[in-house]
Amino acid sequence: MTAEPRILRREWTSAEGWRGTPAGMWAWLIQRVAAILLLVVIAAHLVNPFRRGVQAALLALALLHALLGVRALLLDLGLPLRWHRALFVAALGLAATIFVAVWTWRWY
Amino acid sequence: MVRLNVFRWAPGEAERIRAYEVEAVADTTVLDALVAVQREQDPTLALRYACRVGMCGSCAMVVNGRERWACRTRLASLGPGPVSVRPLYHFPLLRDLVVDMTPFVERHAAVGAALAPAAQAEPYVVIPSASAERAEIDDAIECIGCGMCLSACTMVAHDRRFPGPAALNRAFTLQRDRRDAAHGARWAMLLGDDALPRCHGQGNCTDVCPMGLSPTRSIIRLRQMAVRRMVGLAAPQAGRGQ
Repeated sequence: MTAEPRILRREWTSAEGWRGTPAGMWAWLIQRVAAILLLVVIAAHLVNPFRRGVQAALLALALLHALLGVRALLLDLGLPLRWHRALFVAALGLAATIFVAVWTWRWY
Repeated sequence: MVRLNVFRWAPGEAERIRAYEVEAVADTTVLDALVAVQREQDPTLALRYACRVGMCGSCAMVVNGRERWACRTRLASLGPGPVSVRPLYHFPLLRDLVVDMTPFVERHAAVGAALAPAAQAEPYVVIPSASAERAEIDDAIECIGCGMCLSACTMVAHDRRFPGPAALNRAFTLQRDRRDAAHGARWAMLLGDDALPRCHGQGNCTDVCPMGLSPTRSIIRLRQMAVRRMVGLAAPQAGRGQ
């Protein structure tokens, strides 16, 4: 009987596993986490749509999720892959800018 | 002096991290340091290398959390603090920093990575180097088989049937090769549940490729080709089995 081969995998529960995590991985991860959190925040928003904190979280998460999705879409449509880090930064920057603009200039 | 924290393991033994101190100058590479350890401190340390000049990819390993070739990674470029050295992920360990590359070959075989020449295809150099057809795959044909992309890919960790970046990159070059007769069979595999749909476009493979290849781009191009093929817009090619 031969022993099962020992195969190392990145240990996500250790600091070493996260060391050197590249931008594309962060982009993917943030978008997925935002998607899951959106489900929770949308539910909270339905319960009480007037809570400021929930409104802010909903806006921030929707912007993050959508703009990182646009980034992925642009790359899928053929934008040069060497731009992927710049697109990641642009998506985060745009999300922050829109959030601040909308939250500062609330019309209701 | 630079401290190296090196992963050690051998069959039947518990894995451990062993620390070594080595003298380093400005141009000392990780490989130089590991060879110095092996020669002067611990002859039992196992590592693989061949050309020492960044051509063969044999010395691929995970240094400070990123896949790199040890012979082209200067210790000085890694910043202060101890340097962590581990074997490639997702490959069976043989000993210490040496892994079994068999899965790399098996994944290539799974995508039909050998040219299947069409019956009437000219045997040699029928695609001019200056042609658009060649330019399309120019970035993808320089793979040296180091395995770093497979180690960096998170989907490889979660789906044993996923061919991984290198094999899909190879498949792309063949799907663009009009001399190849296996396009149809390869599409059937590529469009299955465990191939193209599995890539999440994280780009980890592209980030670590020492040759500057972009398997992510190859996968995106394959997806674009697949969509064009599905809607009947595939460019006519002389290859068989479209």
